[in-house]
Amino acid sequence: MAEISLGNVSKGFGGVTVIDDLSLDVGSGEFVVFLGPSGSGKSTLLRMIAGLETIDKGTLTIGGRRCEHLAPGQRDVAMVFQNYALYPHMTVRENMAFGLRNVGMNADEIERRVTDAARMLEMDALLDRRPAQLSGGQRQRVAIGRAIVKEPAAFLFDEPLSNLDAALRVRTRVELAELHQRMRATTIYVTHDQTEAMTLADRIVILNDCKIEQIGSPMEVYLRPASRFVAGFVGSPGMNFLSAEVSGSGADQVATLVEGARVPISVPADPGSYELGIRPEAVNVVDGSEASPALVTGEAAVVEHLGDRTLIYLHLSDGTPVTAQDGGLSQVRPGDKVKLAFEPGHIHLFDKTGRAYHAAEA
Amino acid sequence: MNAAALKRLNAGAAIITVLTVICAVIWAFPIYWGIVSSLKPDDEVVRPYIELWPDTFTLEHYIFALTETQIGIWYINSIATAVGVTVLTIGTSIFCAYAISQLRFPLRQPLWWLILASFMVPTQVLIINHFVLMAEMRLLNSWAGIILPQLIHPVVVIVYKQFFDQVPRDFREAAIMDNASEWRMLFRIYIPMNWGVTTALSIVTFIWTWNAFLWPFLAVTRTEMMTITVGITQTNDAFGVYYASELAAAVLAGLPVALAYLLFQRKVTQAITLSAGIKG
Repeated sequence: MAEISLGNVSKGFGGVTVIDDLSLDVGSGEFVVFLGPSGSGKSTLLRMIAGLETIDKGTLTIGGRRCEHLAPGQRDVAMVFQNYALYPHMTVRENMAFGLRNVGMNADEIERRVTDAARMLEMDALLDRRPAQLSGGQRQRVAIGRAIVKEPAAFLFDEPLSNLDAALRVRTRVELAELHQRMRATTIYVTHDQTEAMTLADRIVILNDCKIEQIGSPMEVYLRPASRFVAGFVGSPGMNFLSAEVSGSGADQVATLVEGARVPISVPADPGSYELGIRPEAVNVVDGSEASPALVTGEAAVVEHLGDRTLIYLHLSDGTPVTAQDGGLSQVRPGDKVKLAFEPGHIHLFDKTGRAYHAAEA
Repeated sequence: MNAAALKRLNAGAAIITVLTVICAVIWAFPIYWGIVSSLKPDDEVVRPYIELWPDTFTLEHYIFALTETQIGIWYINSIATAVGVTVLTIGTSIFCAYAISQLRFPLRQPLWWLILASFMVPTQVLIINHFVLMAEMRLLNSWAGIILPQLIHPVVVIVYKQFFDQVPRDFREAAIMDNASEWRMLFRIYIPMNWGVTTALSIVTFIWTWNAFLWPFLAVTRTEMMTITVGITQTNDAFGVYYASELAAAVLAGLPVALAYLLFQRKVTQAITLSAGIKG
């Protein structure tokens, strides 16, 4: 397995810049996920690594070898496409062997690799079938098998689960995680689904508008988002944002919310106007007593009972929407006036540029 | 649907059916007349009234056509030229269409427009050019002389290009990632994925070439090099006005393509639909 390094790469289409001076290092055996909304450049970046798009400026190194001028087939990477791209007129065996035949590998070695990959992916019985005779999940495995047989320096996945139904997606995600643990292959995985990113990645690269917003482990990007965009993009349900006026500093630091509610905070930020961010699980439903003082009050609009937890969608008096998470046995009903308190250690501030300031870690 | 509407629909359907049958009879009658007449003795053919069924059946005209003319050689010439044109047309069209569809090279677009424009030019306009060329190359009265000018079938290029364009880009990119060369992509992916189109176009090209008359007529003067469509017109000189013998030769000439059409009817219809779609 090899490390991958992008150095100040840029890419444009017809005068429009889609990747702008981006640098990134992927360690050997690491599972890195490119996460971002549509049009953020994540697929373009993946295709630039694969060689399916040219790199206008910058360098690409795979396994210590400069690759930006090499043809895709010479970069020692294997790609799994969103629509699998299995050749419909070839059997599974032929699909998997196609790439190996193209490089003149001998038949015995091809047969060995195909058989080993099929066994690893539990699709021995499918080798003589055509793609039309396979289910979506089986086609996905064949596409992965076609990549595995090449024994590449790195695997590239372009939204491979997006065509699967929800249940199959979960199952395949687990299989991918197990496969990665077994093979410890350098992997770059593109997705817009944050659940896939959070569960599969060693590190997540969050892209927005052709730039990297943050690189970090799943818990890093979740607990300490680097920007307003990351905070709002990662997490479901999303982070709550409330307008706040920060004053004071140190032990006297306070964020004043709507209705004059004052939240004691400990965030290294200068006084001024900010957006206060707090995740639903850190917004607690309280009874407003001395033991559980309330900060703000809102009216519940929608209540979702999920079994192990309850999501309460509220509006504050100024109309600001807030989502709170309560226990699974919550008695809150739509229309109820609900008192809320915020956990101080989970408060984030975002200035006008979107830069994030986090509460001191406990 | 109420009863009145249903009644109108049934009446309309009945009228259309009757009209269709009438048109079919009008279209098919000459073929029927030709076959039936070829099975009559000469004196029955020239009777002044219409006889829809022979009084006497005879195969003498077929026997005469098969034994007293060079129809066997004409068949061979037709098969050779039709197969030659089909193979070469399909082969060159595949390469041309693949290049225009999948490769990027200077003047690709103007070349495509040229091919589209050539589709508007009737081949008859080029007859004189072709004749002079073949004469200067000493290819008249040869299979090559018959075949070469008939290789111009822009519709085949156009149909292939359309189908190659429709192959999802992912397949090409997967093949690129699989280290496939352009040759390998063409022969292992694009052609196999469009095998139905190839079959349909091959059949139609074969039929077009088999039925061709004008160019083979001009390109060949020696009887032994004629194709079947040209050869059967020569029987006129041999027999004078023996209609039955001429009709027997014509039936024999059309028999292979009629059988081919019956066997591959679906493919022929598909190919005609494809080319009609372009013309539309």
